[in-house]
Amino acid sequence: MWLVRPALPDDVDQILDVAGAAGSETARLSSTLPRQRDVLAEKIDYSMASLAGNVTTEAGRPKRFLFVLQSTSTGRIHGTAGIDARAGNSQPFYNYRRDALIHASHELGVSSRVDVLYPSHALTDQTLLCSFSITPELRNTEAFELLSRARILFIAGHRDWFTSNIAVEIQGVQLEDGSVPFWDSLGRHFFNMDFETADQYSGLLSKTFIAELMPPNPVYVTLLSEAAQAAIGQPHELTVPNLELLQREGFRAGCYLDIFDGGPVLEARTDALRTLVTSQPKTLHGTYEDCGDTWLISAGEGSGFRCTLARVANTLEGALKVPVGVWKVLGKTAGDEVRIAPCW
Amino acid sequence: MLVIRPLQETDLEDLYGMAQKAGKGLTTLPADQDLLQRKISRARETFNQRCAPEAGLYLFALEDTEAGKVVGISGIQARVGLDEVFYNYRLSVTVNASKELGVHVRTPTLHLTNDMTDTSEICSLLLSDDYQGGGNGLLLSRCRFMYMDEFRKHFSEKVFAEMRGVSDEQGLSPLWDALGRKFFDMKFTEADMLSGLGNKAFIAELMPKFPIYLPMLPDSAREVIGQVHGNTAPALRMLQAEGFNFNGLVDIFDGGPVVEAFVRTIRTVRDSRNRYAMITSKAVDLDVPAAERVMVSNRSFRNFRVTTVPASCVRTDTVSLPPAVAEALQIESGDLVRLAPLKDRVKTSARAAG
Repeated sequence: MWLVRPALPDDVDQILDVAGAAGSETARLSSTLPRQRDVLAEKIDYSMASLAGNVTTEAGRPKRFLFVLQSTSTGRIHGTAGIDARAGNSQPFYNYRRDALIHASHELGVSSRVDVLYPSHALTDQTLLCSFSITPELRNTEAFELLSRARILFIAGHRDWFTSNIAVEIQGVQLEDGSVPFWDSLGRHFFNMDFETADQYSGLLSKTFIAELMPPNPVYVTLLSEAAQAAIGQPHELTVPNLELLQREGFRAGCYLDIFDGGPVLEARTDALRTLVTSQPKTLHGTYEDCGDTWLISAGEGSGFRCTLARVANTLEGALKVPVGVWKVLGKTAGDEVRIAPCW
Repeated sequence: MLVIRPLQETDLEDLYGMAQKAGKGLTTLPADQDLLQRKISRARETFNQRCAPEAGLYLFALEDTEAGKVVGISGIQARVGLDEVFYNYRLSVTVNASKELGVHVRTPTLHLTNDMTDTSEICSLLLSDDYQGGGNGLLLSRCRFMYMDEFRKHFSEKVFAEMRGVSDEQGLSPLWDALGRKFFDMKFTEADMLSGLGNKAFIAELMPKFPIYLPMLPDSAREVIGQVHGNTAPALRMLQAEGFNFNGLVDIFDGGPVVEAFVRTIRTVRDSRNRYAMITSKAVDLDVPAAERVMVSNRSFRNFRVTTVPASCVRTDTVSLPPAVAEALQIESGDLVRLAPLKDRVKTSARAAG
């Protein structure tokens, strides 16, 4: 059985394995999941403190959560998924906003549309889904769906902690040789470093260096290389399953881009997220039967949060009848409150 | 004899012929009869003081008095940017630095400016091929500084010239292709022609307003920023000798440099002096090398005339002029005229003479 639960300090080594698994593939694909042991350990500690209610947005230390996907049979961790309650974590959160200007001359009878990228902080302080990584063999499986959607059930259960709009950054185009066309045509000129380095810094350091090095003025798209222009708003091919899942959830690409690789930023209204809208509270009960459609079932608050998959025969009643094994995974017992949402 | 005089209504044919031969590259003098006629009319209004001094367009013709035709033209626009918007790019530097990372990056950047607004511009210089050499180009160009010196209050303290930028034989400009064209799908030659027809501000409205970071342009375009066309190099050297310097601005189309100088520090202005004209019946050999000649102006606003005489004509208080020269300058004996060296070497001999 698959379980999503908050990350714990003992998970560090296994998470590092996941982050580094599949060679550079996963490693590359999650810039917000640190690959340095101490940084990761810190992130887990912070997540635990956030879950325990020891950090508050009022104190200027926004909550950040990290969850793991665990196989209950082997105990192994196969993936991670995170939520930053406030993008930027009380620092500016950088994006490019793609916008258009019409350059027109009445006298010459000419009018042309000019695409411009404006530096933007507009998404700062919006809830952000982040740190998603999963071992490659699980991509496009139930477990994949569980890991991504469990976060939405967490949000549903802790709605006050999150903002009314929610965003997620999708990794942009990177070529086989590791080069990133968007970066090479834009950021590299100003940061004077390769993409990997900049990407790591942005995960590790304060974002001050971005403010210091990023060109302060808008950038004309037409002056970028053709490869860079083609990469604008395009997802990395490995992130397509993730992208599609998020689109089913109700996320849509808006006008924001990642400043490093030009990847799209997806946005949604939190209260319109499909998992959230279709989820419903239930009371846990037992059964010996194991049949019916597969549902996501979440339970617990804060550090007690658990989410798993189970087959449910009847969801019309207020009582949710599942085998006792599921109770154990959820850490709940008969009569406890749970929240369920249908699998897609 | 070659004489500078204000452009006249009757010069249209000669002017049109010259403009046709000159072809592309001279944006201020396109081969367009109507436009040339308008320019002549404006010049006439200016010299007759029928327009505000700052709106003036002072156009001078170089006339071959024997042939009775105009063989060159040069001009001063009293102020630019008054009724249209005058654009340039300023070549400046953006520095991004992070102490934390030890990164310090300088990025050359083009900023769109209107910095030359309300400044006098020297423009429209064109000399027939048959008359190249012998100091004719110098006369055509430098007579303007004598005029500005004489009538300072009609011009700004500073004067500038836009130098033609780099383009190839086909009329392709590397900067235009990398920048302007991306925003305005038009060939450089067309855009250039349109700006000559007075549409430059309209085109500028289609150009990017935000700063352009040069690393984002191809090398071919970056290399030509602030560079002059090969044909313009001599003109640039001449202006540099007068004290003009690159002021950091470039043309928004081809990247040609803007050079400027304060009128009072221009060498022709500094080295010019007054003398009383003395008409002499003695034969004077006018045909001496450019280096041994001085420019003589009649100091007239409406009927400004300049020609050259041998430096040997200059005395302590006077300058001896043959009757033909006096006639060409439309002066009489005893009139105060102004002298300035035509070429740089004359400076010392003129000083020795005076």
